[in-house]
Amino acid sequence: MAYFEIEGLSKSFGRSAVIESLSLSAAQGETVVVFGPSGCGKTVLLRLIAGVLRADSGDIRIGGESIAHLGPEHRNVGMAFQNFALYPHMTAFENIASPLRARRTDEAEVRRRVHEVAALLRIEHVLGHMPRELSNGQKQRTSLARSLARRPAVLLLDDPLRNVDAKIRYEMRLELPRVLREYRSTVFYVTQDYKEAMALGNRVGVLYDGTFRQVDTPAGIYGRPESIRIARLFGDPPINLFPVRPERNGDGRAAVRIGDSDLSGPPSLDGLVGRDLLLGVRPEDVEVLTEPADGAIPVELDALTPLNVRSVMLLKAGNATEILASCPEDKRPALGRGRRQVWARLDLGRALFFDRATETLVH
Amino acid sequence: MASLTLDNVSKIYRPRRRAEVLAVRDLTMHIGDGEIVGLLGSSGCGKTSTLRMIAGFESVTKGEIRIGDKRINDLPPARRGVAMAFEGYALYPPLRISDNIAFGLLRDRRPKAEVARKVAGIAKLLEIDAILDHYPSTLSGGQQQRVSLARALVRDADVHLLDEPMSQLEPQLRAVLRARIKDYLIEHRMTTVFVTHDQTEAIALADRIAVMEGGELQQFASPEDLKERPANLFVASFIGEPPMNLFPAEVGPDHRIHVINDANEAAFSIDLAGAGDAVTQVLHPGRKVHIGIRPHRIRVGPAGANDVAVGNGVDAVVRGTLLSNQWLGDQSHLGIEVGGCFMIAVSDRGVALGTDEPVDVGLPFGALHVFDRDSERALLHGMRPAEA
Repeated sequence: MAYFEIEGLSKSFGRSAVIESLSLSAAQGETVVVFGPSGCGKTVLLRLIAGVLRADSGDIRIGGESIAHLGPEHRNVGMAFQNFALYPHMTAFENIASPLRARRTDEAEVRRRVHEVAALLRIEHVLGHMPRELSNGQKQRTSLARSLARRPAVLLLDDPLRNVDAKIRYEMRLELPRVLREYRSTVFYVTQDYKEAMALGNRVGVLYDGTFRQVDTPAGIYGRPESIRIARLFGDPPINLFPVRPERNGDGRAAVRIGDSDLSGPPSLDGLVGRDLLLGVRPEDVEVLTEPADGAIPVELDALTPLNVRSVMLLKAGNATEILASCPEDKRPALGRGRRQVWARLDLGRALFFDRATETLVH
Repeated sequence: MASLTLDNVSKIYRPRRRAEVLAVRDLTMHIGDGEIVGLLGSSGCGKTSTLRMIAGFESVTKGEIRIGDKRINDLPPARRGVAMAFEGYALYPPLRISDNIAFGLLRDRRPKAEVARKVAGIAKLLEIDAILDHYPSTLSGGQQQRVSLARALVRDADVHLLDEPMSQLEPQLRAVLRARIKDYLIEHRMTTVFVTHDQTEAIALADRIAVMEGGELQQFASPEDLKERPANLFVASFIGEPPMNLFPAEVGPDHRIHVINDANEAAFSIDLAGAGDAVTQVLHPGRKVHIGIRPHRIRVGPAGANDVAVGNGVDAVVRGTLLSNQWLGDQSHLGIEVGGCFMIAVSDRGVALGTDEPVDVGLPFGALHVFDRDSERALLHGMRPAEA
């Protein structure tokens, strides 16, 4: 039995079903990221867990006991928000202590817990400050400390890094997992940013059309997305998708045509001969070369757009087939400003094959 | 197609009964024929006022704007030879998408066949060819923005002005459309100035970027120079994602840089012994500075395993604790605590290191940036004087 379980949860508003027979189990201390497009029901799901909204049907259990009939104040569920929501007239210390005081925790224990969480979040030196004296990053940390201090069984974080600047966002993204490890709460973390989802989730649940369409580790979802839609949600630049129908070439191996070049596939392609597929190749699995080479197809480089860590290249193969390639900024070949001839090697060993009709992963 | 010059341009707004606002101060830029330039900054930095002065929607308080050799300060917008894509799209509601895109061309009295050909071409490029018969009110924000872009890009003009051209684009289309637009601008040698608050967009598209803050030009340089040679602390912290690691520090009498953490305690120090005389002259004892290093230039390895050691591209090694190790599909982000300082490192591959374990952090001198703490000007890039 899992520590936290949702079973067959449904919620409609009028005639529109927002959550439909959604089920999920999570371990104690696990962080599950709820990821999906806006309007997919992420926030509604959090509110159902918190008890602010009541489900139409289904059950939620912590440690085997149903909490579905309990009011929000009795669920042992904590929540932190995008907009900090600190009390302006209280010091950072008092803000963090406030949920403990509301539960009449004794003073020594309050001090111990506030200092413990403040040390972990590196805000001990500002505990005496008022919110107006805190930087945005410190406010964010104080708000998070407040939600952690009472050690809730389940912690709900609704896109907490959405409104902070890049520096704070990256610091929190990288520091949060250690803090959450210490607290052992089961965490549901909502975000629309796939990188944040991959960075923070022990598992990521991809939510759309009312339920989780895939729940897996970040590497599992990125490496083996179950549908084209999920494949395109993870990755920037997004995965290349080429319509192909594998055929046997002269030596009996299955090959696919990309642009006007035939490429031998991996052995696993042999079973897919004759099927209408979409071949997915991630931009980082396309190598760009300035000289012809074995297995590399001639392409025109149309544009080079540097990003921060990686550069993105737009390549054009025969039949107006566009290919996006990306490589680390410091390892890309020296290429000029305008169009030029280059060669591209697609790593088909890492490619994904989707059925063109059902748009689901076949290999 | 032409060059564009801003010569000591200032913009002062003088609202009635309120204090005047200096929106742009003494801005001087020369933009070459066919060059793509991004005006980058956060809201209120002066970038939009600058674009609107070039377009002719705002008067120039002081200074001169020229296209080629021609002063355009006093010309009405329609006679300046500029084409603009507006942030609010400004599409004509009663016209179909195809007529919206063709509008400027028809007004310029271009032959019908040419108009049809150009509209079809730009519509395909921006993936709006399937909605040419629709009306603006039926489109999503992202589609409306692409129509607005198409209408500006399809026109012949001396200078093209784009206001936040890609802010609403659908995430899955962004990478490919950025690249196609860049290719189109270069292919047609279009002199282009665009405004954006998104550094990723600026870096992807621009030949040179003008970073603005508080109405003043902070630096006007290529994306590479902004990353490798930021002129001041603002540019260093603003450009780059994940952002540059920056820490306050002080040079000790022992010629070491002592880095200070959030709680104002000594965090770690870097020995400058191998850095050369030029460096020790600039970094004299007692000098207060900020030091910076970009996340992808930091080397990280298991503590004491000699994977990261002085020599072999590393000039200083400090001991830290790995807080997190996050694989994002095409890169790893590492969070490291060193003496109460928090550092971000990026690797383009997976890193086999466990969290909560001690790690050695290697800092190449060639990747260190040093800024003066008072003036916030760059002193050294890669241990070479910033002015050189």
